[in-house]
Amino acid sequence: MNTATSPADTRDPTDWATDAMQRRIRARYRAEKRFRFYGLFAVLLSAGFLAFLLFTMVANGARGFTQVQIALPVNFTASDIFLEPGQLEGDDREQLLAQADFQGLARQSAIAAYGEDGPNLLSNGAWVRLREAVSADPELLTREETLWVPASTAVDFAARGDTGARQSDERDAMIARYGELEEAGQVRRAFSWTFLTMADSSDPTLAGIWGAFKGSLLTMIVTLALAFPIGVLAAVYLEEYAPQNRWTDMIEVSINNLAAVPSIIFGLLGLAVFINTFELPRSAAIVGGLTLALMTMPVIVIAGRNAIKSVPPSIRDAALGVGASPVQVLTHHVLPLSLPGILTGTIIGMSRALGETAPLLLIGMRAFVPTPPQGFTDAATVLPVQIFLWSDELDPGFVEKTSAAIIVLLLFLLAMNGLAIWLRNKYEQRW
Amino acid sequence: MNDATDIQTESQAETRSETPPVAPESLKMTARNVDVYYGDKQAIDDVSIDIGMDNVTAFIGPSGCGKSTFLRCLNRMNDTIPIAKVTGQIDLEGNDIYDPTMDVVQLRARVGMVFQKPNPFPKSIYENVAYGPRIHGLAASKADLDAIVEKSLIRAGLFEEVKDRLSDSGTALSGGQQQRLCIARAIAVDPEVILMDEPCSALDPIATAKIEELIHELRGKYAIVIVTHNMQQAARVSQRTAFFHLGSLVEYGETSELFTNPHQERTKDYITGRYG
Repeated sequence: MNTATSPADTRDPTDWATDAMQRRIRARYRAEKRFRFYGLFAVLLSAGFLAFLLFTMVANGARGFTQVQIALPVNFTASDIFLEPGQLEGDDREQLLAQADFQGLARQSAIAAYGEDGPNLLSNGAWVRLREAVSADPELLTREETLWVPASTAVDFAARGDTGARQSDERDAMIARYGELEEAGQVRRAFSWTFLTMADSSDPTLAGIWGAFKGSLLTMIVTLALAFPIGVLAAVYLEEYAPQNRWTDMIEVSINNLAAVPSIIFGLLGLAVFINTFELPRSAAIVGGLTLALMTMPVIVIAGRNAIKSVPPSIRDAALGVGASPVQVLTHHVLPLSLPGILTGTIIGMSRALGETAPLLLIGMRAFVPTPPQGFTDAATVLPVQIFLWSDELDPGFVEKTSAAIIVLLLFLLAMNGLAIWLRNKYEQRW
Repeated sequence: MNDATDIQTESQAETRSETPPVAPESLKMTARNVDVYYGDKQAIDDVSIDIGMDNVTAFIGPSGCGKSTFLRCLNRMNDTIPIAKVTGQIDLEGNDIYDPTMDVVQLRARVGMVFQKPNPFPKSIYENVAYGPRIHGLAASKADLDAIVEKSLIRAGLFEEVKDRLSDSGTALSGGQQQRLCIARAIAVDPEVILMDEPCSALDPIATAKIEELIHELRGKYAIVIVTHNMQQAARVSQRTAFFHLGSLVEYGETSELFTNPHQERTKDYITGRYG
């Protein structure tokens, strides 16, 4: 374009083979390799932590699903239980069973089988097993039978051969005793239905996760039932109907801030509003669910708005163009198309809510609840709080229960996320 | 083209006004003194125009001249833009479409629209066409609906190509097929007017030719208004052409007349390629 004196014309041809050039190329390749290595290192590190976590949990927790059982020969005929099989066919069966002294029977049987300290080998709840056995088969009352009943924590502990940090003669004696029992085939380790079907207990051999699991489930139902519709409706209104003015801006800022508020503050809010003002029952799933719904809703609103925003305007035009009303455009096109995004946001929020402990502590869900909740207003606890409570217990038997509870929580989360991914893929539009 | 020349001879007698007469029996839509504002900005300035049933009307003009804006006034698609304000009067068969008693939903069924970018719903081909009739309750039964879908696809010249895969996704079709699907979707609700907003701008020449052919076939069944950037296209498909510039209607007349003997200097400059 210019005259012949332009710098571009006078430049020498580039020599790509000079040393400086070659060094630069090598440095570039090295930088590339280094960068890739950093990335790989980061991935391996996080994968390593995850593997470590899972491995420890499974290694510790697997035993939490089992229990040591001890063989207990019970002679029902010679017992103080003056029940006949025929009596158990009437309507007062439960009452009769409740009145019978199975506790005493278990105690006597243990003394008969294992000597004076026999009862110490049995779990405090071993007698329940006796009652269940009789309830299942009343004919037992006419004969002698050997039942497998849960062993005490001391036995359970000895079964591990773990002498513990503090040496004690008692413990050594128990380990020796356990060895003998094992040799005689009088103890076994079996899968513990107790853990999966019972609620909290002060005795780790009787403690179960079902109560907390059910509490979590009820809480999540309340949370989802509130946060999802409210969140989606709020997102729809803000995105589709709200006029663009200072008020909408303020609401938007507030919702964004709400999503970032530390969860314990929601707990205080729940305490003040739902328990103090509305006088809803303390420790109940409904209050927990309401509190967590407050926390989850902003997450759903934000995700929902983004999802709705990402529906191409051409689709709205198309629907309006054939005469769809704004509500029809929304329900027939916009919502179905943004559903995958909304679901993703919902699951992120719900997962966070499921793992939440702090706000629930404040509304009383840390109470000791020995029976699974029967409804939304019953006293309940949830999985993460149960884990927190058990990790705080003095009895060493709770260590593995804690790990087992963590496994249950992780599985719950996994199931929830799996469901979300399945739903998302199901509704995802391929363009 | 014969019809066009007939009308032309009629109108040649009188001096060209801003709105040359459309035969009264064919008159479908009239616009009088329409202004459109986007906030403070005036996008359309005092446009008056008649749209006839028996011919295809093309809107031409450089980018940003307001032709699409005006088109979107004709079925109130501008309602979706909060800052847009429309004044003046637009009648559909003598009824003011901006009258508060006018039902927008019904209006848009009577005045259908085809957009610049093919925008089929991400549903099956069948569902795309069936959607309009279904929400307006036009089909009494499944068989009825099937018939409407088939008829619309035949009219849009797409049926032969898709009859074996009506349940495939509409978005899997080629661009030209998608646009014809959109036309089928628009005619499925049996509109009186079809507005086309640069329907071929995203299509290749072969697909464009098919759409133009289709417009020819649809002419007379529906009043068709087409916005186009392409002057050759306007010359090919339309009998009447309106030239917009800077928000106002500069010239409106018989296509053959406007392209060969424009009355306004600006029209002449535009069609001879001085700007645009």
